[in-house]
Amino acid sequence: MKNHSQFKISLFVLLVFVFLASYGAECRATPPSLQFEPLVFHPPKGKRTELSNGMVLYLLEDHELPLVNISFMVQAGSIYEPADKIGLASMTGALMRTGGAGEKSGDEVDEELEFLSASISIWIGGEAGGGGLNVLTKDFDQGLDLFSDILLHPKFSEEKLQLLKNQEVENIRRKNDNPSSIASREFLKLLYGTESPFARETTLDTISQIKRQDCIEYYSKYFHPDAIILGVAGDFKSEEVIQKLENKFKNWEKRKEMLPEFTPIHPEYKSTVNLVEKDLTQSSIRIGHLGIKQNNPDYFPLSVMNDILGGQAFSSRLFQEVRTRKGLAYSVGTVFNPGNIEVGTFFAFSQTMSKNTIQSVSAILENIKKMRDEPVSAEELRLAKDSFLNSFIFSFTNSAQIVSRQISLEYYHLPEDFMEQFRDHVSKVTREDVLRVAQKYIHPDGMTLLIVGKSSQFDHSLSIFGPVNTIPLTNP
Amino acid sequence: MGKRLARILFVMVLLSPMFESRAEDLSSRVIKHSFKNGLVLLMVERHASPTVSFQITYKAGSVNEIPGITGIAHLYEHMAFKGTEKIGTKDYPSEKPVLESLDRTFAELKEERERGELGNAEKIKKLEATMDLLEKKESLYSIPNEVGEIYRRNGATGFNASTGKDFTNYTVSLPSNRLSLWIALESDRMTHPVLREFYKEKQVVLEERRMRTENSPNGKLYEALMRTAFWVHPYGLPVIGWSQDVQSLSRKQTEDFFKTYYGINNIVISIVGDIQPDQVIREMEKTFGRIPSRPVPPAVPFVEPRQEGERRTHIEFDANPLIYIGYHRPAVSHADSIIFDIIDSLLSDGRTSRMYKHLVVQKQIAQSIGTDSATPGGKYPSLFFITAAPRAPHSLEELEQGIDDEISLLKTEPVSSTEIQKLKNQFDGSLIRGMESNSGLAGQLSYYEALTGDWKYLLRIRKELENVKAEDIIRVAQKYFVNANKVVATLSKTGSNEKVQNEKP
Repeated sequence: MKNHSQFKISLFVLLVFVFLASYGAECRATPPSLQFEPLVFHPPKGKRTELSNGMVLYLLEDHELPLVNISFMVQAGSIYEPADKIGLASMTGALMRTGGAGEKSGDEVDEELEFLSASISIWIGGEAGGGGLNVLTKDFDQGLDLFSDILLHPKFSEEKLQLLKNQEVENIRRKNDNPSSIASREFLKLLYGTESPFARETTLDTISQIKRQDCIEYYSKYFHPDAIILGVAGDFKSEEVIQKLENKFKNWEKRKEMLPEFTPIHPEYKSTVNLVEKDLTQSSIRIGHLGIKQNNPDYFPLSVMNDILGGQAFSSRLFQEVRTRKGLAYSVGTVFNPGNIEVGTFFAFSQTMSKNTIQSVSAILENIKKMRDEPVSAEELRLAKDSFLNSFIFSFTNSAQIVSRQISLEYYHLPEDFMEQFRDHVSKVTREDVLRVAQKYIHPDGMTLLIVGKSSQFDHSLSIFGPVNTIPLTNP
Repeated sequence: MGKRLARILFVMVLLSPMFESRAEDLSSRVIKHSFKNGLVLLMVERHASPTVSFQITYKAGSVNEIPGITGIAHLYEHMAFKGTEKIGTKDYPSEKPVLESLDRTFAELKEERERGELGNAEKIKKLEATMDLLEKKESLYSIPNEVGEIYRRNGATGFNASTGKDFTNYTVSLPSNRLSLWIALESDRMTHPVLREFYKEKQVVLEERRMRTENSPNGKLYEALMRTAFWVHPYGLPVIGWSQDVQSLSRKQTEDFFKTYYGINNIVISIVGDIQPDQVIREMEKTFGRIPSRPVPPAVPFVEPRQEGERRTHIEFDANPLIYIGYHRPAVSHADSIIFDIIDSLLSDGRTSRMYKHLVVQKQIAQSIGTDSATPGGKYPSLFFITAAPRAPHSLEELEQGIDDEISLLKTEPVSSTEIQKLKNQFDGSLIRGMESNSGLAGQLSYYEALTGDWKYLLRIRKELENVKAEDIIRVAQKYFVNANKVVATLSKTGSNEKVQNEKP
């Protein structure tokens, strides 16, 4: 069965709060109608400070296990790379990690880390870069030396760059091997546009354009202390660690330019029907359109709406209707991904045998429309709210997670009490709110439909939904 | 490819400034309680957050199947989410006869379908229509997914289950004030399950099979390797089952599987988190403790005969080339098992592992490489498993040669003391990291207790590691990594004419 994550941001915030007992008594089937004592919990929170070079620090001591975890985010991302060098950002991150640092070659860094049972990661994704260090307390200094060398003095070995390029070429060669990855990739391109920084993909051509010098320039442009938010969680003493980080990074220069602004996307909701032809016994389905940004106040009622429609296993309407009642799919649901820098996406997904393709699409569309036509039942809303509120503590089970969330909130300019706001808003959401946001943000007549499958085996022609655009699969 | 849960040890070191890898630390923290009826309970008390993770491990899985009923263990696992006589129904006494009519109609339908060409198409249509009608009637009584809803309402996360070869696991994590809810729900689920929505759920399982196996190059190849490696033992059968078998399974057969294998005396339960162990035992004695034992399930009656030469199989599919290699090896209970774990780490753990370093980084003939010490299970003799993808223009043959070279090296070159020390350090690290999550720890404890009858097995590895000598690794490699134990499954693009000799069981 699937795991569904509630939201994109990874962790949390602090305030003292009290969980009220929930509604064992009203829930008719709870075996001997159980009542629960209120659960009182004061989740810890990382303390915020800044280094003299502008680097933001969050520190949360937790001495349960002899481990220290550092994580950071840096203002970078593949959306800032030149269009003729797609792949440069992620490759720069990977090369920082593998291409050697300070006096050491990449292989020496690997040997030293793995001998210590420690790990360092550096990644650059779409809208952010980041990484971290995970090390046993006793090896903290040695781990920090390696980690800071990677951040300050990456060597960008030519040989390791060639390896990364060769591997990316092979990834491109293999990109059509699995139907669900074809569906995800092509669907994003349909929503944002093939050339959009939020959907474009690497090609043999863009990979061949990437040179060592490009990586060095990309790194020099984006990696600066005042572009970094760094968190430390685990078994350490704050005073000592602040001092160590201050010493390590004190000569690192602040950045010269800020990130470019993007021309805002104004979503258009057009109904389109798209097909990727592949010889399969099961169709992968995506139906949806562009969504909202995380800072939209309607994010909270929309989350509840999405949970009820298809965001949750077992209890969502799509799971109940399409999977349990009709037996049409194993995997079915909706994803509501708010964007940060740009609008995110809203879509339903499913995988169903070829001869049930059209029937499944219809069943999904019917459920989407129903969300806008009538309010959800009081019971459905109660379930979605209880579930959210009662599982809230699971966002505070581990200090490294708590700190990562704080970093993420600050990175995306979200309020530091975002999670409390989330909780408080959810507890106040009404049936009318859910209906209002469904009507405002879901556009059943402006959906992009994509099927990856074997159209000769479908139950009806796909054209009953509109003129079909066939997307060719290019094999590099 | 991810490695399976590594064979990790855990040492609990709470609030201790220095880590010492002493088995006693964890030994003193795990509380083991055996109930009179044979149920085994393991607990670790940990108050880091007001949450608790539960795992129920049934010592049964697809290894308890035979051809004709493949997929039954997994299908029952899906049915375990459908509720009981009290949950998931508005009115069980009225629902029951409808379920029975469905069963009778299905039996007739199955008989007619199995006549193949001679089957009466008209009759089949009519019976299918009757099934539809009865299912509509059933839906008037059933409450879909009510077990899941109750858990969700109460803030559960990770409510799930998985079926493997040897075991079937049921997991959930809850706020710690809801222990009594878990006890009430689970003791009901394991004693009075009702297999409702059965025929629709079979369709769901067949979709799962299409997703995981039929349209997945890795899934297809894995199935092929297992069929080629095991001619007799059920390790060669797919966990999800053959389509035909899943379609023909009846509700009664599936219920019988439950009755045979889901006895309280065939279970290990692990509970880790914010609990008071004494209170847990008291509460459980009143519920789980009163469930009567069942007869010990029959042993798996099959023994895989010795393979008498290398076996190969090949698949053409619309995807890029892959290679899976297996070497027959003894069960995890065998003394040599730990050496396989060490070899597994040596070959593919991390960037400095031998195969990654040589095949991915230096020669660049592999795009990815992974190994696993015991696939598809650990209870019976299984395979040391190697998976790799060639990097074009390098061929499958070149990659296989590269892998063979690494295996040869194990037989001749003694492992350096640095490599051994690195493994020890990594085990110690995993020990500590394994403590970070309640659910992860619960899973590990359950697994080793179910597999070996003693969760402490997971501490043995570290001790063994202290005594491992380079020649032990050479001895094991020479003994098992021989052609007569080797099984190879390759996949290449349809029509690509990769030359591979086929051998059919």
